[in-house]
Amino acid sequence: MTLHGSAPKLSRRQLLKAGALTAGGALLGDLGYLLANGAAPHEVAAGEPYPLNLPENLLYTTCLQCNTQCTLKTKIQDGVLVKIDGNPYSPMNLLPSLDYATNPTQVAPVDGSICSKGQSGVQTLYDPYRLRKVLKRAGPRGSGKWQTISFDQAVREIADGGKLFTHIGEDRVVPGFKDVFVLRDPALAKQMSDDVKALRAGQLSVADFKTKYADHLDVLIDPDHPDLGPKNNQFVLLGGRIAPDREKITQRFTYGALGSVNWYGHTTICEQAHHVAFQYATAQWSAQGGWQVGTNHMKPDYPNAEFVIFWGTGFAEANFGPPPLSTRVSKAIVDGRLKVAVVDPRLSKSAGKGWWIPVRSGGDLALAMGMIRWIIDNGRYDAAFLRNANKAAATNGAESSWTNATWLVNPASGKFVRASDVGLGDNAHFVALVNGQPTAFDPYDPVIPVVGDLDVDTTIAGIAVKSGFRMLKESAGQNSLQFYAQESGVDLGTVVALATEFTAHGKRAGIDFYRGPIKLTYGYYAAQALIALNYLIGNVDHVGGFTPGGGSWDFMGAKPGQPFPLDQLHPGALTKFGIKLTRESSGPYETSTLFHGYPARRPWFPFTFDVYQEVIPAAYAGYPYPIKILWLHYGTPALAAPAGYLQIAMLRDTDRIPLFIATDVTVGESSMYADYVFPDLSYLERWSNGIGTSPVVLTKNTKFRQPAAAPITEIVTVDGEPMPLSTDTLVIALAKRLQASGFGRDALGPGMNLNRTEDYHLKMVANVAWGDKAGDTVPDASDNEVALFRKARRHLPSAVFDEAKWRAAVGPHWRRVVTVLNRGGRFESSAKAYKGDFVAHAWGKLLDLYVEPVASGTNAMTGTRFSGVPVYETLRAANGSPVTFAADYDLDLFTYKEIWGGQSRTVGNYAAQMALVPENFVYLNSVDARRLGLREGNVVRLESPGFPGTFEILPGQTQAVAGRVKIMEGIRPGSVAVSWHYGHWAYGARDLQIDGERIEGEPARGKGLVPNPAMSVDPYLKDVALTDPIAGDSAFNGTRVKLVKVGEGNTQDMPSSGSYNRESTLGVSVPFSSGDTAWMREQSLKAARGELDPATLVAEIERRLGPPPLPAGKTRT
Amino acid sequence: MPPLGSPHQAVAPPEDPTDAAGPSGLERRDFLIKAAAMLAAGVAFPWGGLDVAVLPAQTSSAGATDPAVPAFAISPQADEDVLIRMQRDLARALRKPIEQRRWGMVIDTRKCVACMSCTVACVMENKLPPGVVYRPVIDTEIGTYPNVTRQFLPRPCMQCDNPPCVSVCPVNATWKRPDGIIEIDYDVCIGCRYCITACPYQARTFDFGENWTNNAATGAPAALALAGAAQYENEPNFEYSERWNRANGPIPTSPVGNARKCHFCAHRLVDGLLPMCVTTCLGRATIFGDLNDPEALVTELAASSNAIRLKEDLGTEPKVFYLL
Repeated sequence: MTLHGSAPKLSRRQLLKAGALTAGGALLGDLGYLLANGAAPHEVAAGEPYPLNLPENLLYTTCLQCNTQCTLKTKIQDGVLVKIDGNPYSPMNLLPSLDYATNPTQVAPVDGSICSKGQSGVQTLYDPYRLRKVLKRAGPRGSGKWQTISFDQAVREIADGGKLFTHIGEDRVVPGFKDVFVLRDPALAKQMSDDVKALRAGQLSVADFKTKYADHLDVLIDPDHPDLGPKNNQFVLLGGRIAPDREKITQRFTYGALGSVNWYGHTTICEQAHHVAFQYATAQWSAQGGWQVGTNHMKPDYPNAEFVIFWGTGFAEANFGPPPLSTRVSKAIVDGRLKVAVVDPRLSKSAGKGWWIPVRSGGDLALAMGMIRWIIDNGRYDAAFLRNANKAAATNGAESSWTNATWLVNPASGKFVRASDVGLGDNAHFVALVNGQPTAFDPYDPVIPVVGDLDVDTTIAGIAVKSGFRMLKESAGQNSLQFYAQESGVDLGTVVALATEFTAHGKRAGIDFYRGPIKLTYGYYAAQALIALNYLIGNVDHVGGFTPGGGSWDFMGAKPGQPFPLDQLHPGALTKFGIKLTRESSGPYETSTLFHGYPARRPWFPFTFDVYQEVIPAAYAGYPYPIKILWLHYGTPALAAPAGYLQIAMLRDTDRIPLFIATDVTVGESSMYADYVFPDLSYLERWSNGIGTSPVVLTKNTKFRQPAAAPITEIVTVDGEPMPLSTDTLVIALAKRLQASGFGRDALGPGMNLNRTEDYHLKMVANVAWGDKAGDTVPDASDNEVALFRKARRHLPSAVFDEAKWRAAVGPHWRRVVTVLNRGGRFESSAKAYKGDFVAHAWGKLLDLYVEPVASGTNAMTGTRFSGVPVYETLRAANGSPVTFAADYDLDLFTYKEIWGGQSRTVGNYAAQMALVPENFVYLNSVDARRLGLREGNVVRLESPGFPGTFEILPGQTQAVAGRVKIMEGIRPGSVAVSWHYGHWAYGARDLQIDGERIEGEPARGKGLVPNPAMSVDPYLKDVALTDPIAGDSAFNGTRVKLVKVGEGNTQDMPSSGSYNRESTLGVSVPFSSGDTAWMREQSLKAARGELDPATLVAEIERRLGPPPLPAGKTRT
Repeated sequence: MPPLGSPHQAVAPPEDPTDAAGPSGLERRDFLIKAAAMLAAGVAFPWGGLDVAVLPAQTSSAGATDPAVPAFAISPQADEDVLIRMQRDLARALRKPIEQRRWGMVIDTRKCVACMSCTVACVMENKLPPGVVYRPVIDTEIGTYPNVTRQFLPRPCMQCDNPPCVSVCPVNATWKRPDGIIEIDYDVCIGCRYCITACPYQARTFDFGENWTNNAATGAPAALALAGAAQYENEPNFEYSERWNRANGPIPTSPVGNARKCHFCAHRLVDGLLPMCVTTCLGRATIFGDLNDPEALVTELAASSNAIRLKEDLGTEPKVFYLL
């Protein structure tokens, strides 16, 4: 046996086995065991080195435990994905990230960082309650009774429809996809779509439309309302966490293949007002196209900023997200460069690192308006920046972007004055005052600078006009600073101090926000106010300022020269048209055939999209039309939407939602009501489309999910192709059965099939590998890299990884695709973040302090115009009436996220959520606890007007919104906070019966409470949460609740201090009395310090306590 | 750019090949062989002998060309992530004989954001069962509204130079290695829990043999993945560079029924990898390295004016430092 040198590495255990044969003693347990069992020397085998740093055991993919979607390095052991870390090629996990050119073999020993829920993703993958086979309902909706059926049967049934549930006593005829896939002629669809546009524009009457299409009226939902579109729109795909992830393949199916407009993401239960406000605050204008929305996100350049306000968000929980944020912000704070303030009614982890401003929940808009007012009143804004009216002025002023602050607005119409309005030119030019003189300009003129007057209120050519800045000033001036301070719950001195600090760092300051301040009916204005504060200090594009981030390569291949322009590679695609079920992005109410004055039957949302909470209520209400098929993908509105419990009864209604299918990884709180549940792959087993990254990362990057783990779901055959059950598989199989375009043979063009998911997704990788322009291409992978690529996938079945099929999908691009997949995406060098005084990927365009398109829009319920600048508002119902609360509803309810949890899909993470904090609590300040006579551990129910504290899951089965009180100091008095992630009634928490066999749920998954049912229902509509009329965002905040004590409860396993204290729940269990424990600890310390002989100590312990109680199987020899 | 991974980008040699003492994976093995030989020769171990045993300098002639030597081939770059700096520090330390290394840790509490990533990463890396936690993060609220803040304290094993857990073990199952790591031999440990009692930092927990999915449904219905869950739970971990199967080891249950604790991921160190809590730390609050190396980041930070150790007065001499 060689002990030294480069002999095969032997493990200690094996050496011990060998040594035992000569040792002849049994002091060491292993030796004793081996001797007793006559172990033979042949058991000594070659060593078993640590496998998790070997390049062939690593695969790089992308997380989906939250929407930050961090880049991952996954580690495979014995074919099992056992460990997840951060991808060191990516600036989300390492900063600076490693040189992209570095060989994966060299990178293998480097692990990047990833958060706790990312770490526990292994348990999302291997969740015992993961679905493997298709389930068909074997009892009433929600009964929990299922039968397994073959995939082929399931596809046949949902495609063809029919009497699908006669065996359980339902005689109805269920519509199938064939019943909605009615308009199939692409030419007809295009023609009808154009004519519906003409109809909306007032250029064609309904009668003329009906005459023109007399032979085809049967394809329409309602021939008297052609603008509702074809019956195809009666198919609705409602996605939970679907974008950015699989929006491309599911939209290809919904839009191009099936011709339905009704595809939805979940953004309005996330942060839509943030996105919408940014999109309009960065909208660009062109004479040809009018206003086009811009980016949906900007963030401070944390590493170089001097002062950042985290407003209703932070860097250590949620946001976008802790892995990239914490690394940057923690370093900047400790290095002394950055000071942070955190505006939040709760002392978040981030707030613990800075200046905590405990705003009243919902008081954010008041605080922001107060700051705007103070900054304008005191001249603390960057006037030089704001006066630049066009590109040339910005360039002259050493700026990159410019605003419309000086552009003149006609307050009567809400619109900007065009040169043509005042006799100064055409309607492609805007007007500003330059030293009092009206001056027309092109916003993008690179040569002639226009530096306008900022604060304008005058009359030109008979038109009363004001500058955009003036509009903001007057809006902020509607209320006094004292009023804003009082409404925000922040004392006046602090408001001024915050505004002073914010304006004391030049351009090296910024406000970061996401969800906290905007989950209200006035969320859009709150978001706009926070964006305006950034614009007022002129921080956009500057180092240490505010940045749109590094952006992404064009994975859809729309750039000239890219190999696969995927949006165009869809021969026979249908043109979708018609009003969306939610009346979102569907033009103004007034131009529709449904217009009948105000109020409309339900709100219209021309400025937003993904109005998630409205989809099912609209379908149930049949406005603007009834639906036939609901496909719920990886979403759970019943749990996750405010007041979403109201949707349970709607989902159970087989008349109004005749066919309800779901794709999901488990049977969840909403998919439990489906007719069919199709198993989906988890994020670790499948593809995604290309995914960009939030502006936390200043360099360009595009990441992909790719199959890292072998699939858990059943492997089926579609058209002769084996593949695991998944959403992609269902889309392909259904499209093929329906003979829809876009999938199957030649579906991407002659010779380009789409038979397998990688036929589509690998082409996106090829586009990114090729780059955005000629010369931007990544190098081909070497033979070694290709060999590594192959070896690292040896655990994947051929149904997933068939190299020949993968190669065929991208042809000559194969080797560069390998280069990208071997690194989990494409990442620009971190060294390219900055260019001089600016971020390298600067916005460099117009910034809209005043938003003309929103200002010229009308609320379909009230008939009133929206505002182009933020205005102070309070909570309102859909019809505009104020929402108020009786005095006994005395606590502001708000939610937050812990870092180990996502909204609804981390309860199966045993090592993270379930172990760290098995249950959430009702957090209350000690002041309120005393006032209400509540003690820690008491069980309380949350009640709000109209909500009695419980809701119905099934007839006769109720669920309480109740939890134990946890008293803390780090929460604003008058508030109650309940975190996300808990209170599940499905997702493994509930018993199932499958093929007659009962499968028990796991009670631990049902612990804690979900606060959403207590959130306000719109008092006018009565079937949906309060909703922001501009952004369509649902109001998670704004509800006032009362706590009703329903039990004494206890404090068992509760944190001993603060919100969370691991020490108290540690399993430090010793079978000794506290007195003996203290004595033993003291004596062993003495021995450790050399003051006592250890042998004496052990003898003394045994004399005092007797022999130790040993666990089963252990003996002392 | 040349093709990626072409031969000329091969692994760079260590800075000084002649200084390469040998594969560090051998140190414990050498020691144990020696121990076994002493047993065979009837040499009695003096108490404490295990934690002060001086090993012969490693005499391996292997060095730069030995594939077992952990190579770190990432070129230095300006303002590099401290993870890379530390990994380079680690590679340097591994080229020294084991007794010349002194592993230590500095935790910058100002950078800790209580993301709990270290806690969970450690559980996943070491496949720890419920109730066994090597590195909790203690989150404490301090003050009264509105003058209130939070303090976060990650708490690994302190790897004390004077470890009370070692002195109290009745079967010599735990000892201080020459590089300062306090090791537990699961084969020797009898589960008496004296050490758990003795540790003033509560760094040791007991493995009661639970598994994460113990309370989930069982059975093999084809529709659900009930059986798949056990798959990863039954995969071995690699603590102390061995494969430990909870279900199927030579001693069927080890490490079930043992005291367990943080070991600075000793099984990763031998391969030139940082402890898991270090690499996954979002705030880069955890700094690790050889306290004997004056060039190492950990050594520099351990000497900060704001550095403290927990319960200094007990005389345990922890090798974990905190920056306040």
